[in-house]
Amino acid sequence: MRIEAHNLDKHFRNVHAVKDLSFTVEPGRVTGFLGPNGSGKSTTMRLMLGLDNGGGETLYDGKKLSSHLPVTRTIGAHLDAKFFHPKRTAYSHLRMLGAEAGISKARVHEVLKLVGLESVAKKRPGGFSLGMGQRLGLAGAILADPQVLMLDEPANGLDPQSIQWLRDFLKFYASTGKSVLVSSHLLSEMELLADDVVVIARGKLIAAESMPAFLSRATGSSVVVRSPQSEKLGELLSAQGIASTTDGARTIVIPGATTDRIGEIAFANGIPLSELSPRTASLEQVFLELTESGQEYRLGETS
Amino acid sequence: MISNLVYEWRRLWSVRATWIMTFVYLAITGLLGAGPLFLGDGSFGTQTWKGLYSTNANFLCLVMLSVVASQFFGHEYRYGTIRLTLTEFPKRERVLLAKTLALAVYVTIATFLGWAVLGVVGFIAPEGSIATEGPGLNINGGEASELWQVLVFGFAYCVIAMSLTMITRNLALGIVLPLLVSAIIEGLIQLFAGVANGKLDRIVDVLPFANGTAWLTHLPDQPNAGLIFAAWVVGIYLIGTAMFFKRDA
Repeated sequence: MRIEAHNLDKHFRNVHAVKDLSFTVEPGRVTGFLGPNGSGKSTTMRLMLGLDNGGGETLYDGKKLSSHLPVTRTIGAHLDAKFFHPKRTAYSHLRMLGAEAGISKARVHEVLKLVGLESVAKKRPGGFSLGMGQRLGLAGAILADPQVLMLDEPANGLDPQSIQWLRDFLKFYASTGKSVLVSSHLLSEMELLADDVVVIARGKLIAAESMPAFLSRATGSSVVVRSPQSEKLGELLSAQGIASTTDGARTIVIPGATTDRIGEIAFANGIPLSELSPRTASLEQVFLELTESGQEYRLGETS
Repeated sequence: MISNLVYEWRRLWSVRATWIMTFVYLAITGLLGAGPLFLGDGSFGTQTWKGLYSTNANFLCLVMLSVVASQFFGHEYRYGTIRLTLTEFPKRERVLLAKTLALAVYVTIATFLGWAVLGVVGFIAPEGSIATEGPGLNINGGEASELWQVLVFGFAYCVIAMSLTMITRNLALGIVLPLLVSAIIEGLIQLFAGVANGKLDRIVDVLPFANGTAWLTHLPDQPNAGLIFAAWVVGIYLIGTAMFFKRDA
């Protein structure tokens, strides 16, 4: 199911939290939703779900969410790890959420087992850890096997094994043709997970594109070459107007170059290479570059 | 709409507080009903069957039901589950209607259970303690003219509690405000009115719960009591509805 967010806009008294935001989430792909703290990610998700009143509209396969019945077969949302009554058992919580789509008791048990909460199904979630709360929230979101998953910081509080499980699960979910929109502060995790990214800062759209396209925006892409004749290669490159820097013995770094071009030059001059690899910027680098000026709550300098 | 109702019903009965408050409501109803019958020595006056069955219109009983009524929205806002509810049911009018209907069904069941308890109390009461004629005892001012009014009065009280919770988004205020107004504030206003040489009469004439009680017991000098009480209930409900629709979840 394709999600189209059109001109989403939201004011909180004096704060313009979301500014004319438009983007799409494609089916069969995991879309990462990134932005600094207070950039409007959660507000945007709430607007998309119709929970907050604001400008713009969000269409799901061209129709409003309320036109898709049962809604829970269309979208499953997990917005907070603590959205449950602390005295209502995990099982009862899911039974309640399953009312709209007529979810069976067997499916509730199946989902609890899937998220690893089967042993605490009859326990009250007031005593759950943050990670267990996340799992319960995720269980609620996937209960009716919806066409769209919308998850707000689902990895917060999860242990490494659970994060890996979540990553595999979301990738698998998207591979079945469903849409996944997931926000996270864990950029390294998002780099492994997301096919596309939507980046916002101060409520404004910074980027909405595929992950490779986003990473290529970095100013720091370079090629790393290791060779027993690194000095000679450096001189050859310099003669062709290509700048390089040494990075330890027998290793040079060539900013802005491609591996194809450097490989050709080395081959043409008979220079043996023991390493020729691209050094692309990490998602974190690109994210920080693009959102630096859009940080709502700035941190102080560390000494 | 059926799924909305199923959702509300499961939400209502899957927390222990509902069971506890219902049990406490029944216990208080039974105790208030039994008190005059078992402890009375004739000085209390005469209790009638209708007076006995009017017991659960008492504010002490209704406050227990109002706890459950407030939970319809109070728990949703306190624990953030309103966002789950409105994601599942994006049409807010349906959510509100389902909650109101579920509340009506709950109050009806609780009232009938209360009457069942009072029936048992009356059945085992000492012989001669229930008269067939004369005014019945009831702390709110007397027996209900018709028993259906006990049910309607209870539902109206709970609608006020639920609506105040919608307005304030605060579970405790939804419970405390109706109790405070009915048990203390209206009494104080009436007290001041007595020494204000008629200056507060207009206010006294439109007090919500005084009019509600007058309607319940058919006080002859207040023919519009029912309308005034209904106007309060509908007015508060409409304000709550407007807030529910206008504000972010």
